[in-house]
Amino acid sequence: MMDLAKPDQFDLDRLAEELGALPDAPLAMPVQRVETPPQPGGFWALLRPRFGRMGKAGH
Amino acid sequence: MGAAAAPDSRVYVTRTLTLTASLLAAGLGFIVFLQFGASDGFDAFDVLRAVLIFASTFWLAWGAFTALAGLTSRPPTVPRDPGPIRAMTAVLVPVYNEDPVATFARIAAMDASLRATGFGDRFHFAILSDTRNDDVAARERIWFLRLLADTHAEGRIFYRRRTNNKGRKAGNIEDFIKRAGAAYRYAIILDADSLMEGATMVEMVRRMEAAPDLGLLQTLPTIIRAKSRFGRTMQFAGAFYSPIFARGLAMMQGRTGPFWGHNAIVRMNAFAESCGLPELSGRPPFGGHILSHDYVEAALLARAGWTVRVDDDLTGSYEEAPENIIDHAKRDRRWCQGNLQHARLLLAPGLKPWSRFVFLQGILAYIAPGFWLAFLAASIAAPLFAPPIDYFPIEYWPFPVIPVSQVSKALGLAVGIVGLLFLPKLLIVLDAALRNRTRSFGGSLRALQSTLAELLFSSLTAPIFLMFQTRSVLQVLRGADGGWPAQTRGDGTLSLSDAWAASHWIVTTGGIVLVMAQLLSPQLVPWLLPVALPMALAPVIIAWSSRPSRTGLFTIGTEITAAPVMQLHDRVLRRWEGFDATVDAA
Repeated sequence: MMDLAKPDQFDLDRLAEELGALPDAPLAMPVQRVETPPQPGGFWALLRPRFGRMGKAGH
Repeated sequence: MGAAAAPDSRVYVTRTLTLTASLLAAGLGFIVFLQFGASDGFDAFDVLRAVLIFASTFWLAWGAFTALAGLTSRPPTVPRDPGPIRAMTAVLVPVYNEDPVATFARIAAMDASLRATGFGDRFHFAILSDTRNDDVAARERIWFLRLLADTHAEGRIFYRRRTNNKGRKAGNIEDFIKRAGAAYRYAIILDADSLMEGATMVEMVRRMEAAPDLGLLQTLPTIIRAKSRFGRTMQFAGAFYSPIFARGLAMMQGRTGPFWGHNAIVRMNAFAESCGLPELSGRPPFGGHILSHDYVEAALLARAGWTVRVDDDLTGSYEEAPENIIDHAKRDRRWCQGNLQHARLLLAPGLKPWSRFVFLQGILAYIAPGFWLAFLAASIAAPLFAPPIDYFPIEYWPFPVIPVSQVSKALGLAVGIVGLLFLPKLLIVLDAALRNRTRSFGGSLRALQSTLAELLFSSLTAPIFLMFQTRSVLQVLRGADGGWPAQTRGDGTLSLSDAWAASHWIVTTGGIVLVMAQLLSPQLVPWLLPVALPMALAPVIIAWSSRPSRTGLFTIGTEITAAPVMQLHDRVLRRWEGFDATVDAA
């Protein structure tokens, strides 16, 4: 028997870590896309300022 | 729902009927109120109030017709497959500053229950600690060793503590999958207070094996071990009404069922490839980590083509719940923020329409009380803006025309709304009596008495919840993040002063409502009393309802005979009571 009320008897952290270690079996979990960035065109195109892209007269 | 998702045609018919019936009920409420409001002259406030009545009635009717849909079907008899199971399943128990004794005793009980099925070696438990408190974490380590020694489960029960809480509970699960997910075909996700029969877990695995397109199978957990008046009322409501509501919902969900975050099994590769959650752009409460991750994970699984299903016939799945109104409101605050955050995901690419509707429903669940409150405020203020009554509306007609009272219409509307609230529950009693389901609720008469008492209790507490929910919504809208408080579990008795501290603002609001009504619309005062009185008495109701319940009402099956896994849990706790940090060196 070990008296866990006296933690200096042994290293609890290490023991718990060793005995509790998860199986080493990694699995990828790719991040999903859930937000839609504003799309060019459609409604957003109407709101976009156009002053900078006015066609030039002449050449 | 049972072994297979409802056929698509039945799903679409149920959705259409429920939606149409709810819209009709809401439309009827709208028209009746307009007639009532216009009786003393028509103004914009009448239209505003009628619109609010439409929205509120729609929400109530949606719930009522969902229950009615549930009453039209029965849980199917699913043939049990007694054969062996070969797949490995991880039972995940995320903990966050929980009492390790109570939590780990549940794991010991579930492990014993699983071993009794003969399939114990096919299941591993993983305690996934996100605990921030170092003292609690130290106790976790001690009690983990005690758990191992008690169950001889070295190599079957794991414990790991994360150094940071990235992603909260969803991040905790994700961390497990990234480290160890490939070792398992399935994962049963639990909460710290979940308890599940071994036979139920085995049956869940078998159902997953039988349906290769099934990505997630949700059980309907029954609330257990409630002791307080509030807790036992909720426990009864959960056990008695929820299966019917869940079945109605399942009839509409089809392959796009729910995930409630725990007491469910997922197919590991489906979950891993579909449910990696991003952080939302912007800051909390609307940006940052996705709080109500479970709804989103269900939607993402459905988006990837997996079936998500709830099987309400799966018994032996349990959870515990808050014992008082304040703890319930705290949990609700977190859910409120999570559900409102889903507004960001309503237009997420590729989601099934039903998943978007579920997000909308979740948002409405918290917004709808605001409709009622706005309706009350508009009704009190209406006389200030009403045009004077025109006693001579007909030109050259010498005699005054006295407006006809339309109080009967208001009464009819009130009866209709109360009917939407009460009728489904009363029909559930009738259905339970006819199908002999009341036996586990103390018999038909006791079930009826419990239902009537629950209706009274929920009527008293509804205005209090209305206020808490409205405050939560306002807090979220003004950008206050509720954080991630640990849940309070166990005895939740509150003193009157505790209750006052948490609810004095409700008393004040109730008082203001009554005074304003008396000043502006005295004829409204009797109508407002069912709302304003519980508000004025909120601290008394909160403190009273947190006390231990000693009534025979609200009996449920597990109070008559504790479920086997509950008995195992009790036995473990008794065995551990004498343990004073002493353990066999494993």
